[in-house]
Amino acid sequence: MKIPEPNRLLDESNSQLERALLGAGRVAPSSSKTRTKTLAALGLAAGSATLLTGAAGAATVSTAAKLTWTKLVLGVSLVGAAAVPVGYYASTHHNAPDTAATQSAVARVRTAAPTAESIDDMIDAPAAMPTDPVARASLTRELAALDRARLALASGDARGVLGQLDAYQRSFPRGRLALEAEVLRIDALAKTGRASEARQHAQTFVRLHPNSVLATRVRAHLD
Amino acid sequence: MPAHLVIVRDPPPDGVPPGPPPVLGREARLRAMVDQHVNFVARVLRNAGTPDAEIDDEVQRTFITAARRLDDVRAGAEKGFLFKIALNLAAHARRTMARRREVLAEEAPERIDTLATPEALTDQKRMRQLLDGVLDKMDESLRVVFVLYEFEEMNMSEIADVLEIPRGTVASRLRRARTEFRERVGALEGVTNREGKA
Repeated sequence: MKIPEPNRLLDESNSQLERALLGAGRVAPSSSKTRTKTLAALGLAAGSATLLTGAAGAATVSTAAKLTWTKLVLGVSLVGAAAVPVGYYASTHHNAPDTAATQSAVARVRTAAPTAESIDDMIDAPAAMPTDPVARASLTRELAALDRARLALASGDARGVLGQLDAYQRSFPRGRLALEAEVLRIDALAKTGRASEARQHAQTFVRLHPNSVLATRVRAHLD
Repeated sequence: MPAHLVIVRDPPPDGVPPGPPPVLGREARLRAMVDQHVNFVARVLRNAGTPDAEIDDEVQRTFITAARRLDDVRAGAEKGFLFKIALNLAAHARRTMARRREVLAEEAPERIDTLATPEALTDQKRMRQLLDGVLDKMDESLRVVFVLYEFEEMNMSEIADVLEIPRGTVASRLRRARTEFRERVGALEGVTNREGKA
């Protein structure tokens, strides 16, 4: 005999407190930023707003509408590339101590590890964008350079990506988005069959940035 | 509306039999998983005891873990797969928190606030904290069934599938979980009423 499905408690309860608690359990503690950050952590661009579906898309569009023009510059990078570079920029600190691994590409990175909060900060805090026009233009060029590399990787041109990342490194030896560039390099090395190099870079990355959300992604190359 | 364990698609044109789920590229599939299930994953994590402040990070970890094993997930089974990963991550986070609590418990005794006022009942943050307290006291096996049935509105067959247990076991766990939930909330209401009269 099939066991009947009982009504949900929320539908049958007469207790105000029970109903309030059951209602609280149905609230999703996520936001449009949760989606953006998740896509970024997966190495996926946030996607065009017109391609988004459901509430997440609507929320993202709504968020974009609230951005000032300064933030919009970064918003474009969110759409065209990924949220991660923005997170990196927001968490940039140029006083991180050098390590013994300064010979490696990762060690040349002087930015702090990006955090989920740093992306929040970037979206919420207009002050995070440089006011200095030179610094602003420099960041825009960095974003464009990484956009090109990312597009090349997405289209299967892994060797081209490595060339573009080398060029990025020459142009921006202390780039604010160097950490993101390093993750792209690891992906590209793995895709061109240079697994041991990818692994080596990944190990260094994880050692230097163990708590970064991106370290979770990079660890995939160590499995 | 009840949640389903399959991707909901537009109905096929008349006369065309429904085919298998569409084959998506890896990137498109991941993106679709995020778009369709990000709120579900966040809710599961939260109702499994993950603190608000850690939800975004744990959501990301859930999807990154899923991405690593994407080839093992059959089309249509993504939601159940994400659920299991989220549950494991939440259990890990809870164990870490429990260790922290052991230290804190010696310093700060538990206190139940007055809940009788309409303001309190509509205070989501407060209700959330209280719900955490009720769910935390539930046995894990009961809690999971309770959360999926009462909050995710999955039916008992879907829960049986995703937890890989018989439907009868789902029913008995749900019954016990609901009894526990009502007893604990009733006890809180008793405290509230006494405080209100004092």
